[in-house]
Amino acid sequence: MNFTEIKDIISAACTKHSVEEYEIFYTVGEDISAETLKDEVSAFSSGESAKVYFRCLVDGHMGLSSSSYFNADELEDLVLRAKENAGAIENNDVVVIFKGSESYAKTTAPEPVIVDAGELKNKALELQKATYATDSSVVDGTQSIAMSFRNEIYLYNSHGLELSNKVGMSGCYVVAVVNKDGEARDNFEFAENISSEAAAKLPAKAVQGALDKIGATEIPTGKYNIVIDGTQMRSLLSAFSSAFSAKNALLGMSRLAGKEGEKIASDIVNITDDPMREGCPVQTPFDDEGVATYKKTVVENGVLKTMLYDITTGIKTGKETTANGRRGGNIAPYNFGICAGADTQEELFAKAGDGIYVTGVKGLHAGANPITGDFSVESEGFLIKDGKKAGPIKSFTVAGNFFALLQEIDSLGNEVKWGIPGGFTVFGSPDVLVKNMSVAGK
Amino acid sequence: MISRLLLEDVLAAAMSTGADFAEVYAEKTRNNGIRFLDGKIDTVSDDMVSGVGIRAFIGTRTVYATTTDISRSGLIRCAKAVADALGESKAQVSINLTERIFPNIHPVKILPGSTAMTTRTDILKSACFAAKERDEKVKQVMGNLASVDHTILIANSEGLYTSDRHVRTRIAVSAVAVSPDGSDNQSGSASPGRGMGLEMFDFIDPKSVGIKAADQALINLSAGYCPAGQMTVAIENGFGGVIFHEACGHSLEATSVGTGTSQMCGKLGQQIANTKVTAIDDGTIPGAWGSVNIDDEGTPTQKNVLIENGILKSYMIDRLGSRRMGMAMTGNGRRESFMYEPTSRMTNTFIANGPDKNEDIIKSIEYGLYAKSMGGGSVNPLTGEFNFGVSEGYIVRNGVICEPVRGASLVGTGSQILMDIDMVGQNLDTAQGMCGSSSGSVPTDVGQPLIRVSKITVGGR
Repeated sequence: MNFTEIKDIISAACTKHSVEEYEIFYTVGEDISAETLKDEVSAFSSGESAKVYFRCLVDGHMGLSSSSYFNADELEDLVLRAKENAGAIENNDVVVIFKGSESYAKTTAPEPVIVDAGELKNKALELQKATYATDSSVVDGTQSIAMSFRNEIYLYNSHGLELSNKVGMSGCYVVAVVNKDGEARDNFEFAENISSEAAAKLPAKAVQGALDKIGATEIPTGKYNIVIDGTQMRSLLSAFSSAFSAKNALLGMSRLAGKEGEKIASDIVNITDDPMREGCPVQTPFDDEGVATYKKTVVENGVLKTMLYDITTGIKTGKETTANGRRGGNIAPYNFGICAGADTQEELFAKAGDGIYVTGVKGLHAGANPITGDFSVESEGFLIKDGKKAGPIKSFTVAGNFFALLQEIDSLGNEVKWGIPGGFTVFGSPDVLVKNMSVAGK
Repeated sequence: MISRLLLEDVLAAAMSTGADFAEVYAEKTRNNGIRFLDGKIDTVSDDMVSGVGIRAFIGTRTVYATTTDISRSGLIRCAKAVADALGESKAQVSINLTERIFPNIHPVKILPGSTAMTTRTDILKSACFAAKERDEKVKQVMGNLASVDHTILIANSEGLYTSDRHVRTRIAVSAVAVSPDGSDNQSGSASPGRGMGLEMFDFIDPKSVGIKAADQALINLSAGYCPAGQMTVAIENGFGGVIFHEACGHSLEATSVGTGTSQMCGKLGQQIANTKVTAIDDGTIPGAWGSVNIDDEGTPTQKNVLIENGILKSYMIDRLGSRRMGMAMTGNGRRESFMYEPTSRMTNTFIANGPDKNEDIIKSIEYGLYAKSMGGGSVNPLTGEFNFGVSEGYIVRNGVICEPVRGASLVGTGSQILMDIDMVGQNLDTAQGMCGSSSGSVPTDVGQPLIRVSKITVGGR
């Protein structure tokens, strides 16, 4: 069943069951991946997926339903289920099926295509061979994977609004496992676009990263100056990004509630949300409510300029939506990142003097509380001695409060490190120097 | 869901280029969720997942393909895609499927989807209002009542044709308490679930769930930050068992053992834990959160003793792991949905009761941490380095539980921590979690009695 057929069946069901205002959101996609173990392609997978999300207004309440079962009876049932679900809702929020924005930006990303299966397998094998060839310490368990996906999104509503978008990319990753003197270590590296220069450099980078971890020592508990690598700072930003949602602020579940216009971070911190970030293969010209997206400055010189709004929270607070509406009444950013600062990584190490360079944080789903901002997380990294990167360290935690950390950022690196695109939101950050953080070690 | 005769053709197509095994997994799942927020029912979600995953092997090489098009042509196309990607030879295969019906040891009395909406919203509201009314400092309560009605059909080239229906229900409440001057807020949560319908509320009072969440938020509001450093830690029963799940469980899955990336490779028969530790994975416990009649490869679940008195006895092994390791399957092949290729996963995994009296465990600690309630965690199975969060903790001084502390996490290495579990108490209880791994998010129970770890790094400040 294609989107036109689905739309026709659902629209007819809406007429039959007296549903006047409704929206159909449909996603359809393909993905393939080739995975190696030892010297062969050990696993290959391909998938086709599609899903329809329906919502409708009944007596001022929004009913929701969704399905991946494409059958005429099921699609009619989808309308009935959403109608019934609307009847259970008690909140008094103003909810709207949106009529449409004046204009929508055009994506600049190239038309996404699924990479040929043979090419993908060859790439994975080539990476795997190169990884083994990098160093004699590389052992079995090492994996190289190449993947590609493509998604199409369609939105249609009873006001006649019709929107669509296509996103997709290819990428590869290497998990290098090394064993030296009986100590095993692994390291994961990812590169976008399987034919990029970064992809070709993955094996060396992955192996070196794993070797660098060999011989890690434990450090005493205490206060340390810390350089957090951008790849890890973006994970922290991700764990606490729900605090920027106006909905969470209204519910008393964000420490940023009521702080628009106030200083929430150190002077050098700027945070933007860019739905159409140049070079990002996932660009989003409209949000899940059909509103045209735009680039916004969320934090400027440490001042919180705006929270993120959808239509309902905009109406509730007398503001406009910032086009951050997500399905299910949620709010989320797109390319959400801390902007680059002035320092090279070496300059940050020099400023830290003696301290710790954090290259891994783990367990944020358990060790971070998005409501309070408190975190205490397992970390890995290196010592910084006399302003320079020194040996690896292990089995320590870094603890603090994210909102206090934002205020205490001393310096920022000059390169923003973006995460892996795929879903709705991508986070980015440069390296960050923060002084006097609590570390638990031996 | 899909006829036996059609599946015979689909399996034959998947094997047409020389596969030595093929399997079809079809599912239809209704996921329902009711969300309570700000004193009211806020959202009702209602999702139907339908689709098929086809897999074939040559030795330990695998190909997996999925589709939501479950027509004959859609399934044959998907099977041919598998065959094309797997092999180059031509093979004429004929498949004869025989239907098998496995015993249902998890009968469901009240199917959530068949009850009136108000029955379900009343349960959720009763839990959430109990949290709200616990104390005036509780300013926000969020609740969710989720039910899953999951029907699967599995057919494979060994002739198996079987289906199963699995229902599970879970209620989750989180409460936010705010200090009287508004300067501090803390949260608490509780989220019991069962492999049952609404009859789970016959023995779990929804109000008690709300009260537990509120009390935890209130205690954290009165707590100072946990100090950092190495100390002796007593970890309470129930979700405390996440320590075994992370520190050891994942490293015993064929997913990592079969590829040589586990700290536990080659250690069968060796002492890997303190002699007081016996650990079990049991997917057959009636109505438990992590139980299923058959795993997602059609193998009946079983009780696997993983560690007995400190000696490693067994791994958890799926079909591919069984080929890689040359060992029998253990009923642990699981996946979130048809979108994922199955792999070895835990079911209900726990440390059994031990020889120590609970009061003796607390009394034995001169200075340390009593972790009453745990959050989730994660592990690197290669190195065994793990972490998990403490959601409710207290300082222990001279054998007495003293003031509450917040924001603690525990980190360590699996092989070390297993040896350092030097006291095991007698109040075994389990708790529910969603475990994430390469085959998606699956329900698992964790559990243990109160245990003592002689020395572990406590992250705090």
